[in-house]
This record gives sequence, C-alpha cells and structure tokens, in this order.
Amino acid sequence: MKKYFLVLIMILILFCACNRKTSNEFVVGVQAPITGEYASEGQGMSNAVKLIVQQQNDEGGLNGVMIKVITCDDEGSPQKASICAKKLVNDGAKVVIGSYTSTATAASQEIYANASVIQTSDATAAVLTQGNYKTYFRASFNDDIEGEFTANYFVNVKKYGNIAIISDYSSFSSGLAGAVVKNIGLLGGNIVCNEKIDANAQDFKAVLTKIKALNPDVIYFSGYYTQSGLLRAQQVQLDIQADYVGGNATDNPQFIEIAGEQNAIDSYLVGLPVPEQLDYPEALKFNSDYLREYKAPVPSIWTVINADGLRVVFEAMKQVNTNDTIAAIEHIKGGMKDFRGLTGPITIQRNGERAGSIYRVNVINSDLDYETVYYDPVSGK
Amino acid sequence: MDIFSQQLINGLTYGSLLGFIALGYTMVYGILNLINFAHGDMVTLAAFLAITIAPLAVAAGTLAMIITLAAVVVSVCIIAILLEKIAYKPLRAAPRLSLIVSALGAGMVIKNAIMLIWGANPRIFPRNLFPAGLAKFSDISVSYLSVIILLLNILVMLTLYIFINKTRVGIAIKALSTDYSVAELMGVNVNNTVMIVFLIGGGVGALGGMLIGASYTTVTFSMGFDYGIKAFIAAILGGIGSIPGAMFGGLLLGLTYTFCSGYVSSAWANTVTYLLLIILLIFRPNGLFGRSLVQKV
Amino acid sequence: MKRKLLIAVLLVFCTIYPIFANSAWLTIGATFFIFSLVALSQDIVLGRAGVYDMGHAIYFGMGGYIFAILVTKLGMNFFAAAFAAVFLPALLALAVVTPVIHLRGDYFLVVSIGLNFIFTQILNNNPFRLTGGPNGIFGIFPAPFMGINFSSSVFIYYFAFIVITLTIAIMNNFDNSRYGRAFYFIYQDDLAAASMGINASYLKQIGFMMSAVLAGFAGVLYALEYSAVSPETFSVDQSITFFAIVIVGGQGSLPGVLLGTFAMFVLPELFRGFADVRYLIFGIAMVAMMVMRPRGLMPTKYGFYPKKLFGGDT
Repeated sequence: MKKYFLVLIMILILFCACNRKTSNEFVVGVQAPITGEYASEGQGMSNAVKLIVQQQNDEGGLNGVMIKVITCDDEGSPQKASICAKKLVNDGAKVVIGSYTSTATAASQEIYANASVIQTSDATAAVLTQGNYKTYFRASFNDDIEGEFTANYFVNVKKYGNIAIISDYSSFSSGLAGAVVKNIGLLGGNIVCNEKIDANAQDFKAVLTKIKALNPDVIYFSGYYTQSGLLRAQQVQLDIQADYVGGNATDNPQFIEIAGEQNAIDSYLVGLPVPEQLDYPEALKFNSDYLREYKAPVPSIWTVINADGLRVVFEAMKQVNTNDTIAAIEHIKGGMKDFRGLTGPITIQRNGERAGSIYRVNVINSDLDYETVYYDPVSGK
Repeated sequence: MDIFSQQLINGLTYGSLLGFIALGYTMVYGILNLINFAHGDMVTLAAFLAITIAPLAVAAGTLAMIITLAAVVVSVCIIAILLEKIAYKPLRAAPRLSLIVSALGAGMVIKNAIMLIWGANPRIFPRNLFPAGLAKFSDISVSYLSVIILLLNILVMLTLYIFINKTRVGIAIKALSTDYSVAELMGVNVNNTVMIVFLIGGGVGALGGMLIGASYTTVTFSMGFDYGIKAFIAAILGGIGSIPGAMFGGLLLGLTYTFCSGYVSSAWANTVTYLLLIILLIFRPNGLFGRSLVQKV
Repeated sequence: MKRKLLIAVLLVFCTIYPIFANSAWLTIGATFFIFSLVALSQDIVLGRAGVYDMGHAIYFGMGGYIFAILVTKLGMNFFAAAFAAVFLPALLALAVVTPVIHLRGDYFLVVSIGLNFIFTQILNNNPFRLTGGPNGIFGIFPAPFMGINFSSSVFIYYFAFIVITLTIAIMNNFDNSRYGRAFYFIYQDDLAAASMGINASYLKQIGFMMSAVLAGFAGVLYALEYSAVSPETFSVDQSITFFAIVIVGGQGSLPGVLLGTFAMFVLPELFRGFADVRYLIFGIAMVAMMVMRPRGLMPTKYGFYPKKLFGGDT
C-alpha cells in the first residue's frame, strides 16, 4: 500500500516536472499575490491583465497572434516568487506583469532577464532599477521621486517646522520613509523623530504620545491604510494638534472607514491619483470596462499602473511589428515617447524608470471626498 | 508629567486587554499543562461574530448591546468546549508535544475559517456596541472605553478569584491544578471540571476580543497570533496558573511595551519586552505570583 | 530487504531527477532538501535532546544571513563564507542557549519564541546597514571557483542532495552510538538520566550546536538557491512550521520528518488550485493526525534503543 502511494507521488511529480510543449499562442504571465495579505491587489492585477488581453484579442490579437494569460500566485514571498518566475518562463511566458511587492519583484528579476522575458511591475523600491536588468521597466515611480515630492511639499510649500515620521517594517514602508527622510534632510527640514510601528499590533498610542511631547506640525506615515487609519484615529483621540499626512498606500477607501468619518476629515494623502481621479479618456474607458466585467471598481491605482505596463508592451510590439521581446524592450526604453497611458503620458528611460511624475496631494474634505490641493509642478507641463 | 500619565493610561489599557486573554491561557495551562495556541484565534473569532450579530440585534433597541455580548460569549463558549472535546480530550494521555501541535492545528483551522467566511481584508467593528467618547483632564485624554476595560478587568479577576476559592467547582479546579492525579483519585470529576475551565477561558477571551475590536475599530483574521503570544507571555510573567497573576502579568507587559516605545525606541520595543521576559525567567522561573514547583520523581 | 530496495529506488529517483525536471521543479526539489535539512536539525533538538525549541529558524537564518553578508559586503569566496556561515551559528547557539538551557520545557518554548522575535526584529532594523532591513539582501552570487558555478540550479540540487544523504546516514549511525543512547535517555527523562551520571545540560548544549551547524548549512544552501535572504523566511511562523513537521512526522523518525517536510512544502506545489483552503486543510490534518496517531505519522518503532538491546531479532 505504502509502495503504491510512493510510486503514485513519483509519477505525479514527473508529470508536473516535465517540460511541456508550448503552444503557438503569445503567453502573458501574471506573477501576483493572489492569496495572503495583498490578495485584493493581486487579484486586481490579474483581472486587469485578463481584461486588456481580452480586448486585444477582440482586435485580432497581437501582430496576428492570439494571446493567452497564465497566472502564478507568489503570495508576496520572495521564495515563492522565484519558483513562480521559473514556472512562468517554462510555460513560455514572453511578458510578465508582476509582482505587487518590491521584495517579490526583486527575487524574480534575474530569472526573467536571463530568459529575455519582459517584466514590468508597480513596485517602487529604488533598488529594482539599479540591477540594470535589460528586460525590466516600470510604469510606476520609484520611492525617491515620491520622497522628493513629499519633502518639497513639507519644507517648501507647507513650511512645516517640526516633522514626525512613522513607518512600519514592510519593505515598501521603510523604503519610502527612508527616501522622505533623506530628501527632507537635503532641503534642510527639521525631523523631530523617526519612529517604527509593528504592523501586527493595533495600539500605537505609546508612539503617538511620545510624538505629542515633541510638538510636531505634521505626522507623516509611509505604510498601509489599515495602520494609517488607526494612527489617524488615535491621533485625534490623543488630541495631537498636527496635520496628518499619509503616503500613497494610505489611499484606499477603507482608510476613512477605519479612521472613522469624523476623524478622517482633513487628513492629507500624498501619492498617485486614485483611479476615479484619472480623467484621460482611456482611463475612463478602462474604469468602466473593469466595472462592467468584474462588477467591482478598480481596487487601486496600482492595478491601473500594471495595466499601463502591459499596454506599453503591446503598443511597442505593434510599433516594431514583431513579438520579439528584445526588439520590443529596446523600443520601449529608447524609441517610445509620451505613450498615451491610463495614468498620463508615459516615457520610459534607458534604466527602466518612468520619466516625470504624477504625484499630487489630496485632502479629505468634509464631504469625505478627495480634493487635490497641490500638483507636482513637473507634471503640470 | 502629562506625557507620563498619558503613557501610564495607554499601558494600563493595553495591559488589561492582554489580561483578558491571558486568563484563558493561565487556567487551561494550570490544569492540563497545555499551551492552548488556539486561544488567540478564539478571541479573534469573538470579534468577528460580534460584527455579524450586532446588526441583527439592532432591532432590540436599547438591549442590543447586552444581546450581542451575550450571544457572542455563549457561542464562543460552545466552540471552546467543542474544541476541547475534539482536539484535546482524546490526547490527555498522549505526549505533551502532540497536544501542542493539535492546538496549533486547531488555531490554524479557526484562523483560516475566519478568513474564508469574513474575508482577508480588515473589517470594521460595530461602533455602537460600547459607549464612545473621551474625558479630558488638562492635557490627558481618557476614553470611556479604557475606563470600562480597566474596571471590567478588575471585576472579572475578583469574581473568578472568589469563584475559585469559595465554590465547590472552583475548589475542584484548584485541586486539579495542584495535583492532577491525586485530585482525580479523590473523586474530582475531571471531564466536567476541564469543560468549565474552557468555558470560563473562552467566555472571558470573547469579552476581550470584543473590547479589542471596540478599542481599535478594526479586526483582521490574523490578529490572534500577536495578541495570543503576548497574552501567553503575560500569563508566564504573572506566574502561570495564577489568576491574579494573569491580570498583573498583562499590566506589566502592557506597561513595559508602552514605556519602551515611548521612552526608549519604538523600533526595539519588542526586543526589550522579550529580553525582560527571558531575564525574568532566568532569575524567577515561576513568574511573579507562581508557586515554586518542585519536580517530583 | 524491502527497506533497502525502497531506499535504492528513492536514491535513483533523486539522482536522475534533474534530467527530466524543468527549472521550476528543480528549484522545488532543492528546496525540499534544504527544508528537510532544517527539519532534521530541528529534530535533533526536539526529538533527541528533548528541548522544546520553537525558534529554530534563527539558526537557519543566521547561516543564510552570515553567508549573504560575507559574500555581498566583503566579497569573500564561497568556501570561506560557507565555513563561517556553518560554524558561527553553532557558537551563537551555544552563547544564546547556555543561560536558559535549564528552564522547564514550556518555559524554554516561550523563551525560544521570544528569541526568534528578537532575531527578526534585528534583521528588520538593519543594524550597521548589514542586514538590508525588510528587503533583505539580494544578489548573493559567490565568485565561481575552478569552473564551478555555485549559483547554478543543478549544482545546488546535487550539493543539497549529497548533504542531506550524508546527514541522514550520519544521524542513523549516531542514534546507535554512545551519545545517541545518552540523548535518548535525557529525552525520556532528563532527571533520571542525570542521576545515572549523564550530564543533561552539557548534552543538550552539544545537541544544540550540532543542530545549528546543520541549520546553518541549510541557510547557506537557501541563500545560494534563491540568491536572496529576507526576514520573513526566518520568522516565528516558519519556526512553528518546522516544529509541527517534526511532531507530525514523528520525533526521532527520519522518514517521518522527510514525509512531513514533503507534505508542508512540496504537496502545495502539486495542488496549486486549492490555494485558499490549503491552510484550513493543513490545520484539520494536524489535529486529525495528532488525535489518531499521537506519536506521529511514522513513529520510531523501538524508540532509539539500539537493536542489540532487544536480542537482535528485530
């Protein structure tokens, strides 16, 4: 009995492990956290890719070839990401969208680069473009740019005297906080404290009380909306008279719910526009198509940015008239200028970074709507 | 001074919440020598049950709060007893470590069941269950809820202390935790007593879960582990098996954590807290209120 | 006889596996060996020395991080870095464990969880810019030596395969040695063992060091395979998983521990479809397994008693 079981397992492994012949379809891979902490974002990515591929197939495919989507769940972990990347390469993926988190993206870059698979993601860690992987580019902006924008707003626009910074232990949050701190330092701003919170905990009053004693003019948090909402609620509860500013991961409808409606009013959000704020015709169409297809609104701006990455690749392949990945990535990084993206004009630089910036500062007004109070002067042109 | 008093209040509130959960650990451990790793997830379950039950109870008007509390506490008690019957009772004679793994497995089941039923995103806890609002003394803010938490904590501990020392069932519990086999030989009904211990632990934990939900307004399916492990450490600090120990252990841990974050460094608060635990265990292995335990050969 | 045939079949299967496995499954194979190594090292502490250690990912992580730091920050060659990464965790384990080794079972368990929390917090806080914070350390590619590319998947697979085979062979012999028997006695009853003249604390420390060497080795292999290390791989959750693998598989049982690792890390790759309910099923399986087989999936048949004690007819 035990023997048969063992043989069965071996056969099963053999079946899974063998290389299978790839079809002549053009394969697009999605490497995203479908389960776990970032499940809603990962599912959004996968949905958006499927939507765009379906629309492209309706137009007759890509240079006459039909497109197929394969999804691999990396659970946001670097170890699973590495296995996912190899699986997608083996399954013949030519373009991969992913992953959501910077850590998982970094773990897979080398594998895609070696296989000449184009990879694009919404990850923002600065290190991702420092490895000079020829096949990687992103339609998002790196943390340094958000850091620069935030620092400029704090020091030159708002002229805050005492700035308190809070971050958590996620790679995204600590990377962003690091960039903000660095840029505030460069502009000569005064940081009174740089605190850490544990994202698993819910009671941040100890840290906030400490900050209260330092009389800050602003409290900035670089982490996700769950902790951000709690921080804002506890700030109000402790009666700390300072502006509250959240980084771009605070941007989620649940922030208002968690902080409580009364508390959320007058909080500032620095970041990319929310999907509903995009007024380019392509974006309006994407939002409504997504709503029709999945009976739910686009989960976040990251979904749109990933969609933009894929659209850039498709457009490049159409322009160079071939589905060859090397030719396409060359064109993306050298030839394409001001592609009409869902998030505004897109130009990708040689190192794979997107040029310009689309950051803005929103404030939550008394009707609980976002009101833009400050634009990036660069993107204004 | 204001800042110090504010931190004191922060620490006491947080510590009391841990105390509610620590109680379940300490009582179960006292009798079965089992670290009930599923307890933290039971506490989470209570908060999620309240999310579902509270809107249904709104029809009852002013009684809504009482009905919700009672319904949640009763359901969690029932689940706690079921848990004991299914996952722990068959293992009474088994090696200790098997019991621990069974508890870990049961915790995993509850946590993932919560995720499948209520979803992976954070959920908002009903705001009308406990009185909201703040009292301000010069520059210190105290929410009514923290006062309720502190008072309830003391009340529950006193009630249980009297229950354990003055009633027949309580004395049976005490006898079992002093010497399991002798108590069994003396005619203590082990099954019933263990059931009552799980019932009390589950009920008090459920209360704690709802108070956590109300204090921080959000609950997530995975929050049980962090609270569970901190509460268990609180139980050890206080001397495992001791009911007042659970309360003081909770307060000690809450205050340590808060003052570390406030005055030392928030980045190292966990490290300092755990170091304190290790040092305490080296020099006072039975905790603050624990009896010294002579190993019988 | 049957047993030998089974082992031979498994060895042949593992040897020819890289010929037909694609790159993803080669990585899964190597990962299985690496995690098995950690689980076996956990078994030395838990199933042999009888210490309730629920922070074993610390030594695994130390191996990985020390190797990563030495290779990326100091540009050390593979052998020097691997040597340090295998033996430093053992010294650190000794230093950390000595003051608390005498603690009663459950108290040690809590202390080890605490130590694991401290370990991950240190990694996250990036002291002296060494550990890279929550991102961890990327791009661990030691320089090739005499034409051997240490980062090639096939090399790592066979390297891990050889290490695990040797480990199993050594552990099998160890159980029948003088030390193995002493371990068995302290595992059964350390007080009785102590009164027989066995120095229990000393043996437990030895057990910890042996186990840290193995876990450190696994850490090196992990860092090579994924060319990256990050804090969440070495978290308390991971430690709990290894703890559960040993108990579910059967303490002191080599095939049981391997089977447990297989169930935890390879089966999920075979059944990707169940992603959502996977952990629910694992939880139910853990409870059911303990209730039905409290001594584990494949308990050691006669404990670790050397066969000769039973007159050799087993």
